[in-house]
Amino acid sequence: MAEEQREAKPKKRMTATRAAASIGPLVKEFITGTIQARAEGKQKLAYTFIVCHHEEILRAMDVLPVWTENFAGICGAKRDAERFLQRAESLGLSRSLCTYALCGIGFDQWREELGEMPPNAPWGGQVRPDFMISTGQILCDPRSKWYQASQQFMPDVPIYNMDLPYPMFQRDRDHRDVWNYYHTYLVKQLRGLVAFVEEQTQKKMNYDRLRELVDLSDRTWNLMDETYKLRAAVPCPMGTGDAMNTMVPICFMMATQKAHDFFVDLKKELEDKIAKKEGEVENEKYRLMWGGGLPAWYALNDFNYFNSKGASFPVETTYRMVAPLDQMDIPETKDPIEHLAWRWLGYWTFWYDKAKKRPGSEPDVERLINWIEEYKIDGVVMHEAFSCRTWHVGLIWQLHQLSKIYKPIPLLMVGKDGKKEKVFRELPSLILESDIIDITSYSEVDTRNKIDAFIDTLDSIRVNRAA
Amino acid sequence: MNGTESGVLNTVERYYKNYGLRAKELKAEGKKIIGYMCSFVPLEMITAAGCIPFRVRGNIHEPITTGDTLLETIVCPYYRSCFDLSTKQKYDFLSGLVIPHGCDSMVRSYSAWSYALPFSYFHFVNIPTVCDDSSFEFFRAELDTFRKSLETFAGKAITEKDLAQAIRVHNENRDKARALYDLRKADPPLISGTELTRVLTVGSSLPITEANALFDHVLAEIGRREKSPLKKGARILIDGACLDNIELIKLVEELGGNVVADTLCNGARDSLPRTDVGGDPLKALAGRYLGKINCPKTYRKNKAGTFEGDMTSRFGDIGAYAKEFKVDGAILYVYKYCDPFGFEVPARKAYYKSIQVPLLHLEDVYSAGTMGQLKTRVQAFLEMIG
Repeated sequence: MAEEQREAKPKKRMTATRAAASIGPLVKEFITGTIQARAEGKQKLAYTFIVCHHEEILRAMDVLPVWTENFAGICGAKRDAERFLQRAESLGLSRSLCTYALCGIGFDQWREELGEMPPNAPWGGQVRPDFMISTGQILCDPRSKWYQASQQFMPDVPIYNMDLPYPMFQRDRDHRDVWNYYHTYLVKQLRGLVAFVEEQTQKKMNYDRLRELVDLSDRTWNLMDETYKLRAAVPCPMGTGDAMNTMVPICFMMATQKAHDFFVDLKKELEDKIAKKEGEVENEKYRLMWGGGLPAWYALNDFNYFNSKGASFPVETTYRMVAPLDQMDIPETKDPIEHLAWRWLGYWTFWYDKAKKRPGSEPDVERLINWIEEYKIDGVVMHEAFSCRTWHVGLIWQLHQLSKIYKPIPLLMVGKDGKKEKVFRELPSLILESDIIDITSYSEVDTRNKIDAFIDTLDSIRVNRAA
Repeated sequence: MNGTESGVLNTVERYYKNYGLRAKELKAEGKKIIGYMCSFVPLEMITAAGCIPFRVRGNIHEPITTGDTLLETIVCPYYRSCFDLSTKQKYDFLSGLVIPHGCDSMVRSYSAWSYALPFSYFHFVNIPTVCDDSSFEFFRAELDTFRKSLETFAGKAITEKDLAQAIRVHNENRDKARALYDLRKADPPLISGTELTRVLTVGSSLPITEANALFDHVLAEIGRREKSPLKKGARILIDGACLDNIELIKLVEELGGNVVADTLCNGARDSLPRTDVGGDPLKALAGRYLGKINCPKTYRKNKAGTFEGDMTSRFGDIGAYAKEFKVDGAILYVYKYCDPFGFEVPARKAYYKSIQVPLLHLEDVYSAGTMGQLKTRVQAFLEMIG
């Protein structure tokens, strides 16, 4: 087992915004913060997952979340995941499973065996939790299985597994016909979490504080949506490379004033850049969409490579895990738990009505189409990470559906003046293949050859259109 | 289906090889055949709607081709094969398809299935991931939605009486399956693993009353056997997910082992648990499919607070089968890219060690191309356990 073997430190990715550049130290701060909190013993620490709409509950009860996907991502970005992946494999876990989870389980098993952090653990390592909060959602089996597997090595650490389903899109059904019983269930599951955390912390929930934090999150959601919409400007002031940093306040800091303030600053920074016509790329030639897939955390420099070819990424579906609340058709309630449940349903069903109106569409495809138009996109890039079915299965099919709309032939469309005009709607796509943190699946040469070929395709389409 | 008792196993083999033959005949007669994936789909509901539930199978001998144009290769290989065959019109006699929330592969590919196939009916059944009281209440409501959806499709109301009747005939099937399993208790077993797998597989392609008649014929024929056609050998339990073909079991038996027990979706996991009778049928169905189908996808709380206690609660059925069928060794057969089972491998290994049952863990890709490698490993395992 190559326990001490580490890859060479990757070259730091260049960011377009000050806000994105500030993220690295911020993440390091909250990893070391968990280690300090563990040492002081004043706060309870909970392993948990992003995008569960439960941060408000944890923070209202002074529980410090330990974001295990984040730590695995850090190991990947620092090219130091391999030794933990190999340890998980030695336990009998297949490399084909979620590598975030494998990295986390390998780390946990090693830490528990040693009784201390594994040697040279990235940023000090991942602390032992007081309890773990899994989520059985409609997606992501590993979220339900990961902590159960880790519990083999720390059986005294209890788990609360919170079920968070939402109605699947079915064209012949209005999701509102069923969402009342979904809401009832979600509320019971969230109240179950409150009861579990109360038992673990021996504290009672302060519902006034919870209400304030829910309100703070809601305001952050709307602010974040407004901020990201600014990226539709030409040239684009901030790309997906930076968004892979600014996902940190969205996913790991929600329900904090710091997250809200971060987006106040970012919004101001983007407005300034737009006023100065300052783009992510000096001479923007192509506007691309990151249309799906988690990034290869060890290869974020590839975004700089795209930039070097004049390509910018004004929008991405990955980690944009919020939607404007004023556009959600959800009932008003003063109960913060009920609101969290409605917000959950509102978010996951956000594109359903629009998707129903377009033959051949479905919510993920509809979101792509809307953003292709809104952000004036020339091409779509996706990443297929071999170890994750949650975010990566269905991408080929989505491109297949898109290709029915964006055909490589001129179409007759009604223009602004009401007259029909010939429009080229071709939209090329590129699928990159590797993994989220398993660097053995990645080849920089192959990836960049693919990018070069894709840029050539974009060039030739532009030439053909001009002709 | 007209299998005489003496030739019933030949009939089973014919229907196994021409999977869907009877369903095609029934379709021609105007019946509605509803395909389904996974053990989580409540078959009683389909039967109560006057339709015929039909389990969609893959084929390990058929290379995956057209399916890969729409679905990623990181999907469960068994599921990919099912999708591939469907896109090649192997199941064009189906009127509809029901997919449950069984795993990420099923959820994420639902759109691809529903747009790529020309069936007039598609339905997704959301299965809770946990087993709280509220989960059963939610699941009951979700089953009611399924009922309404089927009523619209079938053009008939599904009454409580219809459901109670469907539960009764499906329970009969489970009792007969249990009787078939009991034939494995003899040493050597009176029915081989290969024979039983064929029978159960064919049963899942027939209307439930025909499956019951078939099982009766098989029980009668096997019951007439004066001695087992098998030789004594290591008694093997196969643990895993969907194994809808005989290849691995046949391989074990050709190498001198006898497959006498399993926890498979196409075997004991699905075929044995009964639905409670009396009372609210929807509640009973929720109880069976969430509470009694022991799938790793469903999270069951660690009430013991110890790893040993948790193992006993999660894998106790394995220990019970191992004891009941006097198992000498087990094969844990897991598909690559299967997250629900894959994450349980270390815990399952620990459990087998705790009950002192030797274990062979195989990761496979649902392809006949791997049988040579599997043969070497199974042979070594059988030699090791003597």
